[in-house]
Amino acid sequence: MIAIAFLLGLLGLLVFAAAGTGQSLPIAEILGLIAVFIVFFGAGVHVAAVLGILALLIGVIFSDRPFWLFAGQTFWGPSSNFVLVAVPLFLLMGEILLRAGLSDRLYKSLNIWLNRLPGGLLHTNIASCALFSAISGSSVATAATMGSVALPYFDNTKYSQRMVLGSLAAGGAMGNLIPPGITFIVYGLITETSVGALYIAALLPSILVTLLFAGVITLHGLRNPLAKPAALPLSVKLRSLVGLLPTMALIVMVLGSIYGGYATPTEAAALGVAGAAFFALVERRLTFQMLNASAEATARNTALLGLIILAAYLLNYILTVINVPQALADMIANLPVPPWAIMLAIIGMYFALGTFMEGFSMIITTVPVVFPIVVALGYDPIWFGVVVTMLVEIAAISPPDGTVMYVLQGMRPRGGPITDVFVGVMPFLLAYLAAVGMLLIWPEIALWPLSFMR
Amino acid sequence: SAYAQMPESLPAGAPLRLSAVTQPLPTQPQFTRVDIPYLREAIPKRSNGRISVQLSTHAERNLAGNEIVRLVRSGQVDIGAGTLSTLSGDVPLLDGIDLAGLSPEIGQAKKIAEAILPAANKELERFGVRLLAIYPFPAQVVFCRQPFTSLSDLKGKKVRTFGNSLNDFITTIGAQPVSIGFPEVYSALERGVTDCGITGTGSGASARWPEVTTHVSSLALSWALAGYMVNVAWWNRLDPEVRNFIEATFKEINDKQWELGHTATRDGITCSIGLADECKLHPLAARPMTEVKPVEADQALVTKTFRDVVLPNWVKRCGARCGEIYNQVIAPISGVEYRP
Amino acid sequence: MRGGVPAPLRVAQGLTRWVSRLAAVMAYLAGWNYILCAVLITFDVVARNLLGFSTAATVEISGYMLACGIAWALAHTLARRAHIRVDVLVNRMPLRLRVWLHVLAVALLAGFAVFIAWGGWQIVEESALFDAHDNSALRIPLMLPQGIWAFGLLAFLVMSLVLLLESALALLLGELEEVDALLGSRSVDDETREALEAVAMAREEQPA
Ligand code: NA
Ligand code: NA
Repeated sequence: MIAIAFLLGLLGLLVFAAAGTGQSLPIAEILGLIAVFIVFFGAGVHVAAVLGILALLIGVIFSDRPFWLFAGQTFWGPSSNFVLVAVPLFLLMGEILLRAGLSDRLYKSLNIWLNRLPGGLLHTNIASCALFSAISGSSVATAATMGSVALPYFDNTKYSQRMVLGSLAAGGAMGNLIPPGITFIVYGLITETSVGALYIAALLPSILVTLLFAGVITLHGLRNPLAKPAALPLSVKLRSLVGLLPTMALIVMVLGSIYGGYATPTEAAALGVAGAAFFALVERRLTFQMLNASAEATARNTALLGLIILAAYLLNYILTVINVPQALADMIANLPVPPWAIMLAIIGMYFALGTFMEGFSMIITTVPVVFPIVVALGYDPIWFGVVVTMLVEIAAISPPDGTVMYVLQGMRPRGGPITDVFVGVMPFLLAYLAAVGMLLIWPEIALWPLSFMR
Repeated sequence: SAYAQMPESLPAGAPLRLSAVTQPLPTQPQFTRVDIPYLREAIPKRSNGRISVQLSTHAERNLAGNEIVRLVRSGQVDIGAGTLSTLSGDVPLLDGIDLAGLSPEIGQAKKIAEAILPAANKELERFGVRLLAIYPFPAQVVFCRQPFTSLSDLKGKKVRTFGNSLNDFITTIGAQPVSIGFPEVYSALERGVTDCGITGTGSGASARWPEVTTHVSSLALSWALAGYMVNVAWWNRLDPEVRNFIEATFKEINDKQWELGHTATRDGITCSIGLADECKLHPLAARPMTEVKPVEADQALVTKTFRDVVLPNWVKRCGARCGEIYNQVIAPISGVEYRP
Repeated sequence: MRGGVPAPLRVAQGLTRWVSRLAAVMAYLAGWNYILCAVLITFDVVARNLLGFSTAATVEISGYMLACGIAWALAHTLARRAHIRVDVLVNRMPLRLRVWLHVLAVALLAGFAVFIAWGGWQIVEESALFDAHDNSALRIPLMLPQGIWAFGLLAFLVMSLVLLLESALALLLGELEEVDALLGSRSVDDETREALEAVAMAREEQPA
């Protein structure tokens, strides 16, 4: 509903702007396209087909160019782009770590340290997701890996199922924000900003979001107290730290290789796979069968994203052929309102789109349009990259549509309605939005660490 | 030479909507100082609104740059521009106009570009595309994050290159060519993934390379020559008076681009080394770099490498016929003959 | 299950099974191709930093591996019903209406697949005309990676067509449950089984 209201609002804005410039807008055609869009989505047509067919319709109606003669090139370009190679590599790393049992050990070790806090085991969900995010660049991979590890621990406990699912979804939605992250790589690719700088700018926001999530859980824990498990002797606690070692080693390897000057952010993802395989070997779990299963899962998840990317790029190409991005950018830049109001409108647009759109295709279709406006308004491109990434993450946990929530729903050992996930994730969603608000008010949260690098 | 003149007006007639995609980035002076004033502004004005132009850059249309020939050929735009070495995967002859070490100074590069145009068009017209003009970007030079005084100091260093002839060149002088996608080069230099990078003096300044490198050579390795192309079917369909109008416009654009190539080459250096007074076209570096002036041995090394390695390797890639075209058209200007 | 599946539907089912099997093989190859890609890039990083050389073609080759990996796994992903649909509404509708929407979705997807596959082959032809090579040190003829890529797109098209054929036949013959099973969203059970299999693999006793 939010999205529909937003699209209609945008249309109104376009009419308003067109009236101001004296151009006439094809209102009937635009309304028709929006209707097709909404009906197809509602009817359960595949996201890629909706985008692709919309692209073809727009091309046929509005363009006098033989755009179809360039379609092959439009599909081939992004498919063979080296920078996007990081996507399957991060997914592959997650699959290997999961099957090698390393994620399980990470979870157990953190639990020993955190389970006596108010909120108990729920804190472990956030902390383990945060640490896993520091090696993996994918939210889906983080939620899938830590979700399948964590959920069995909550079987037959008194924890609120909604809170358990909500905390895992929220934790998963840090996968892209905490460096490394695919969204940053894609954003850097589109906007020609430094991925290294984006990672550094994401540092404090990552900590901020993690703390806010921990705050949500603590509040919940204080209001719904559970019996604390017995305290463990310090020696046991210290010994448990061994379980963290592989994860720590991988963090050092992935981020260290980037900042030590040994690898580019894309290459670091490949080193992560090699590192994961190495630890699997140490655990004596590196078997053909295990690699084979990881390979299939990686291929499937990459293809799922890949088909949407193909369609999104086609739509993107046809929109640029008929000059929509430039016209829209001109229009927004000339609106008679201050820059912060436009920025709020842009953020509102992302939030609205994010309720029903998948984050990855959202970033590919919108950033090329929005980025020039943001720069023209005088905002820092790196800061905006962090904000967009947070909005993409929020999209992944905003009902009714969100990949991270679907993944978790699919993993529940006992099933149950998906509304459990929707309700559980709400407090975390609000905390995430609060973090975006803080970044708007204090951009230094992102930019201050960069001042040491320049 | 005297400037070719863009006509002051065009007689009324059937209106024409023209679509053009030219430079890689909307911020480049080649775009802001030549393409916008001529294509976007002067053409509609002087044609009295008869011709309107939709002009954009590769970045705005999400293009990589190596597909421009195909873009123009398939009628997505009427006019397209792209750097020749990037297009050489589709049309290898184009690489030969701008080989590493071929033209030590810009005057020679211009002579070669003008001389080769008929032969290049013969090649391109097979694909339904025709070059209107070949123009330069600022000289391609070496930026490094560590001090160096001559090319021989690059021995053993990792140098980010693009294109085959620069690869050949860098390998021959004992350095290690590294292939890194353009968006990642800034951070690769920042972190030392690569020690040096080659790009135009102006592009380096614009892409904020002075933030991540300390020394820049002013020795021109090549010129990143680029070309304006038209779709032949569209071109032939044009009303002759419109065609003449556009052709004359591109003659003037061509002169302006060469003039700009000359000033921008020096401007990129002065901006990078922090000479605020002389820095007019590019962003001024916050932390001034050191200019490495070419020594005599460097120029000799460039010429020798060109003759012994770069040229024969290009003919190997392009075919024997390219060697013949080179000897007929380019060798008399460059003074270096290709010997099979 | 009602006894006696009509002959045309049986043929279509056999066809789907056969194409799915081929698609699965292609997807496993696509997955191993990513493992190979990780090895290649790791090798390039190590070689550059420790051994002082670089393949100077890794960027291009791994790009091709990505393109081919995506294309070759599209069909299998479709057979596994893993391509994303927004099916919150669809799943609440009565079976009678739901099956029509399933068939509509697969028909539109097949239509888009026709366009993708056609576009893919068209760029292969264009590269052949140009005799195009990439700008890497190896000067790889573009026909090679693009041809492999386009074959994957073709497989995706075939998969969507046989699914469309089988589901449309089933719909016309009134076998609504079968349409839902073939195209309906993956049940909670499917996904759980998959996740638990992965965890189980991790928890297995170490191989002897
Ligand atoms: Na991450
Ligand atoms: Na969402």
